[in-house]
Amino acid sequence: MKRKQVLSELSGISFSACAIFTAVITIFFVGFIFYMAYPAFQSQGLYFLYGNVWDYSENIYGIRIFIAGTFAMTFTTLLIALPVSFFTAIFLAEYAPRQIVSILRPMIELLVGIPSVVYGIFGLFLLKDVFEHTINPFLSTYLGFIPFFVDYGYQGQGVLLASVILAIMILPTVTTIAEDSIRSVPFSYREASYALGANHWQTIKKVVLRTASKGMLLGAVLGMMRAMGETMAIVMLLGNIMQVPRSLLDTGYAMTSKILNDITYHLIEDEPRSALFGIAAVLFLLEIIFVGIARKIGGRNS
Amino acid sequence: MKKLKWTKVESSIFKIISYIAAATTALTLIYILGNITVQAMPSLTWEYVLTSESDHMELGAGIANAIVGSLLLSLGSTILAAPLAVGTAIYVKRYSRGGKIIDGFSFFIDVLSGTPSIVLGIFGLYILVFLMRGITGGFSLISGTIALAILILPVIERATENAIDAVPAELEEASYALGASKMETLFKITLPCAISGILTGIVIGVGRAAEESAVVVLTAGYSQFMPELKIGSNPSNVFGLKIYPLQDLVGTLPICVYRSFEFPNMVSPSQGFAAAFVLILIVITINSIARFIAWRRRIG
Repeated sequence: MKRKQVLSELSGISFSACAIFTAVITIFFVGFIFYMAYPAFQSQGLYFLYGNVWDYSENIYGIRIFIAGTFAMTFTTLLIALPVSFFTAIFLAEYAPRQIVSILRPMIELLVGIPSVVYGIFGLFLLKDVFEHTINPFLSTYLGFIPFFVDYGYQGQGVLLASVILAIMILPTVTTIAEDSIRSVPFSYREASYALGANHWQTIKKVVLRTASKGMLLGAVLGMMRAMGETMAIVMLLGNIMQVPRSLLDTGYAMTSKILNDITYHLIEDEPRSALFGIAAVLFLLEIIFVGIARKIGGRNS
Repeated sequence: MKKLKWTKVESSIFKIISYIAAATTALTLIYILGNITVQAMPSLTWEYVLTSESDHMELGAGIANAIVGSLLLSLGSTILAAPLAVGTAIYVKRYSRGGKIIDGFSFFIDVLSGTPSIVLGIFGLYILVFLMRGITGGFSLISGTIALAILILPVIERATENAIDAVPAELEEASYALGASKMETLFKITLPCAISGILTGIVIGVGRAAEESAVVVLTAGYSQFMPELKIGSNPSNVFGLKIYPLQDLVGTLPICVYRSFEFPNMVSPSQGFAAAFVLILIVITINSIARFIAWRRRIG
């Protein structure tokens, strides 16, 4: 009897130890990023956020170009990915016969299994040519009068190529979450709508999607976080040119790419290192805000 | 009468849009996998898969070292992360009394699981590779393992929490009613019921670690040589020893793929795609194992 009590105490203690250790790692990690970034924030002030110049020799660091690159890319990605994923989710949950669902859903889950670096070389070695010779000329010829579609001649690399690849990457996440939330709408809601004489689409539009909108929004936020934090594919596709993208077909420089490209060269110099950690801290802060939003929307506990 | 017609037209328009969206998704997948396979074929020989890059004169001609490295790194980081993650989840779900601190803790776990991998990468680069280089040997298997363990910790932790939540409360209540203690209930009722969910989470963790590249390139580096088991000397390490393979650079498949971008003149795109093909095969196999465990649970 006594041995049992000791064992019971011990297991309780070891589980708490695990939790404490995890908490320490997590807090140390989050704290460390901001601690490393602090000197750069202090020396650059608000200029760090809106400044245009990034110069290691002068120790001037402004990340406007990188923020613009990341935002332009993320926004375009959502514009492409959300309609496709939401309608795919509607198809899977509402229209598709069971056999097709059982084929299509594993296919979507296969997309999750493709690592981001593979998407990167896929975009670079295959899609880049398609964009350079077909899509970009087409867009700039027929839609070039709109500033968004002016081609500045970067051989396919740019916001649009990066966003298309990112859209494919976040598609499974958004689709799966949206489909789950559409499926979880109680059947009685639909029946009530049919009983009022609504047809299938009216029911989807006015009842199902309204009820499922929270879950779909959550999918969009999670997809957006993934797109913002993506590194390996973007470093290959966005062009890494120090400018704010002027159009969809123009190049830019993302926050993640700047960190990856420069950190190994400047690891032992205090100020450049701090500035690069500063980019990471801004990225991290954005991510923490989105995690907060996602939890508010009704994250994991509902 | 006219109104009725429009609702019909609208209905079929959106139905068609849904079909098109689903077809686009399916075709995209076929296009990607098909193209990768076609591009990979010229380089994908048994010799390519079974020999190390160091066995060849030119770069990128073998990936056996990277396959072994990827397996070591992903299994190692899972072994490191899994006990911690499972223990943490058990504490959160069965020992803690809830409240603000646990809420905050779970928020931090969410933050950790959504961390952009590059942020974790530079954390690992500075702490493990730079500051602790005497112990870890700089860019090394052990640095990569620890960094990846942090990456997959929240994945396994969340999966375990969900698995424990899914255990029916009646079973535990029945166990307590029979006079079982907390520990007995935990080990004989809760965990056996939750085990397949926990295992699924652990296997998904292996997959996440295997496909990660940004963290690996900043912590494990790359080596053309097959990982080997020996002890060498290195005066800059603690005790002047260098323990292979732990303190040695290690090659991994994602970095093999990345190298076709980094060194386009030495590693051909086809070799990059061949490494990608093998990597996708490994990740898909791991994910299928996870699905299989979850599926067997549903049957049994």
